[in-house]
This record gives sequence, structure tokens and C-alpha cells, in this order.
Amino acid sequence: MWAGMREGRCGVGPLTGMSMEDLYIHIAGQIKDFDPRERCSHSKPLMLADRYSQFAGSAAIEAMSQAGFHGRVPDGHRAASIIGSGIGGLATIEKGYEDLFILKKKATHPLTLLRSIASSAAAHISIEYGIKGPCFGTVSACSTAAHAIGLTYQMIKSGMIDMGVAGGSEASVTYGSMRSWQAMRVLSPDGCYPFAKRRNGTVLSEGAGILVLEDLDYARARGASILAELKGFAMTSDAGDMVNPSVEGPTSAMQMALEDAGLASTEIDYINAHGTATTINDVNETRAIKAVFGTHAYKLSVSSTKSMHGHCLGAGGGVEAVASIMAIRDGFAPPTIGFDTPGDECDLDYTANEGRERIISYAMSNSFAFGGLNAVLVFGPAPI
Amino acid sequence: MDEVADKIVSILKKNMKNPPEHVPMETKLADLEIESLDLAVIVFDIEDTFGIQIPYNANEDVQDFATVGSVVERVKSIIAEKGATGAAA
Repeated sequence: MWAGMREGRCGVGPLTGMSMEDLYIHIAGQIKDFDPRERCSHSKPLMLADRYSQFAGSAAIEAMSQAGFHGRVPDGHRAASIIGSGIGGLATIEKGYEDLFILKKKATHPLTLLRSIASSAAAHISIEYGIKGPCFGTVSACSTAAHAIGLTYQMIKSGMIDMGVAGGSEASVTYGSMRSWQAMRVLSPDGCYPFAKRRNGTVLSEGAGILVLEDLDYARARGASILAELKGFAMTSDAGDMVNPSVEGPTSAMQMALEDAGLASTEIDYINAHGTATTINDVNETRAIKAVFGTHAYKLSVSSTKSMHGHCLGAGGGVEAVASIMAIRDGFAPPTIGFDTPGDECDLDYTANEGRERIISYAMSNSFAFGGLNAVLVFGPAPI
Repeated sequence: MDEVADKIVSILKKNMKNPPEHVPMETKLADLEIESLDLAVIVFDIEDTFGIQIPYNANEDVQDFATVGSVVERVKSIIAEKGATGAAA
């Protein structure tokens, strides 16, 4: 994924695998060629799970292997599995209703319920790795994964646990979901062009973004290879409108995340924006960034990787956390692709079209969800 | 009597907190405190009532929805073009 982001590759393409009847949005960021037999073969329950759980399980294996965890974790009671999803096993739910109401089958598949609920992914991962501490899913639309990562970080900071597998997963590009989303009139028929003049809505996609978080001493003691440090986290709410964001909510979330990280605003080099490419988010987020960073807003690099991977909804915050960490490690700000000219009031450096090499010591990742649910993460370099 | 206009005005009133008694065609939708989600719901209602599809994107400036009168004209032209067939999106 990161290699693709460095190249500015676009993961959005023609919608496939479903009826196009009464659909006028024909693009999405679907994951092609995901074969659970390849990616989940180590786990029989995952092989039978909903696509959203399979994505989560697949991402968790990658993260845990990279972190040096194979098999059950050393002290299960001191570990957590916090994996959120915006809607959980939606494909299973749709199939279940089709079976019941249209095909009039006598029964749904016995695993229907377990596949549907948005706690399954967390449970599957807990079972896979013998995680016996806190295990549940967060649900907060586009801020789901950031909330999962932030809560896990807080649990580690409090001393409750030593490590956690945290993030989000979403596999909701289904026929029913496309019909529901298009009825809100916020999807673009063309593409996801955050902060650009040509932007005209967002593009749905699917995926999973998962981190392995550990207490520093615990990680050092086992000789872990540390990728980055999660320095700060904050969550606020607009208490305003179900769709229109306020400036205050995101502003205070960014400010509080900086305070939690113990950083001055001038120390942030890169912001992975929420940047959904709706008319309203991008202007609002730009205003909030200016409110927090003042003149420094014009010196830091901003980009929305949603221009490349689309809006992964509940997985977005996790995918974008990974992008932020890689930006620090590589000293490379990924681009906002598809950028023609700046939209009105969008005058920051959005790293248009091509990624840029620059030293990135500290990065901020923003998630601002429907209902005004804001979650901001701040990452820094791996401590020496 | 303009049946299309009457139906549209009653749909607008149904979706407003404090609907005024009389809604002239020149009234701007913005002045009726109709925004984003309200508009999507109203459009859905209109589509359902007349059996038509009204394409629009909430991210674009839509002249069709500037005034009550422009909504009525748009609906009438869609009805004329396509006939009253097809389900709402």
C-alpha cells in the first residue's frame, strides 16, 4: 500500500461484482483479488467469517508478524484487541435478507449472526493470538479506527495492558450500501479529489488498517523493532449537525492531541487530513488547521491519501495512521492526487499530485466523522 | 391550479419546522432554512411522489434548487422528458 502511495497510484476504479440497476455512481475503491484461502488459511473461523473480519484478520497477521509476534502472546491478560468497523458484516446482512425476503429460504446460514456483528473481527483476533484482556469494537463512522487506536493507547498509558492490536476494518461496498450512500448525494461520480476545485464528493472504498501498540519498556525488553511512537490522541464532538461539521470540534481535537503529545504546533511537519473531497469537509478542515497552526499551517505538508485509497470509512483512520507512520519513517509526504487547482479557501500546501521528500519528525492524522465525531492521532519517530 | 407546484410546496412544508402559510415561487430555499440533509429528504419525497429521478450532487452549486419556482420547473421538465416511470434512487 505504501509503495502505491509513494507512486501516487489510484486505487479507485469501476465498480464491479454487483448489479448496476438504479445505481448512478459506478466507481469505488474495491480490493481486487482478495482470496481468504490465501490470506486467512491459518484460521478456520476466519475462513468462514465476513469479508470485514477477513480483512481485519489479514491485516492483523501482517502487523503481528512484523512486530515479531507469532502464535499466542506471552501474557494474554495484559493484551487487548480493539478492532472497530462502521457497519460490520454488511455483506452478510444483505445476503441474509436476500435469502429471507426474496429467496424465501427456510433459514439463514447458521453463521449469519456471528458474521454480521461488528465485534467479530476483534473476537477473531483475540482468539487467534490468545488475547485475554479488553476485546471489543469501536463504532464511530469515519473516526472508528482512530478511536480504536486512541483508546488502546490510553489503556497502555494507564498501565492496564502492555500491548494491543488496534484499528479498523470495513467491507461495505455492497449493492445496498451503494444505493444508500448515493441517496445522500455526497458521492462523486468522477473521483476523490480532496481540496481541489474539481472536487464533487467522496468515493467509497474498503480495507483494514491495524497497528500493534506496545508500552515502550515492554517493547524494548523483548527487543522489538519499533516503527514509531504514538505521542498523542484526542477525541471531541461537535454537538452540532449530523452531516455538517463545525470548525470548533476539529480545532479542539487537534489542539488537545498536540497537548497530549506534549508538542508545540510548530513541531508538526505533516498532516494526513480527513480530506474526504466533499465541498464542506475540505473547507472546514482547512479553516480548523489554520486556527490551530496559524502561520505554521503554510509551512507544513498536508495531504489526503483518500485521493488514492478512497474513503475506507471505519478502516480509514487505521489506513491513514499507517500512512502517517510511513511518512515519518521514509521522510516522504504522500501526495493528494487528482489535484487540478486549489478549491476556494483551500490555500495550504496539499502536496499536489506528487509526493515530496522532506524530514517528517511529527505527523498528525485527522478523522472527522458524521455527527461531528472527531479523533486525532499524533505520531513521532521511534525512540532511540 | 398547478398541481405539480402545489404538491411540491406541500412536500416542502412537510419537511420544515415552522412552515409559512404561503410559499411564493420566488422564495429562495436557503431562506426556508433548508440545507444539505433536509434537501436530500425533500428531493427523495418529490421523486417518490412523481415517480421520477432528480439527479443532483450536494457538493455542487445547484441552480435547480435556488428557488421554489426553479424546483417546480425542474420537476416539470423531468416529468415531460421521461414520463412518470422509474423508481427513486
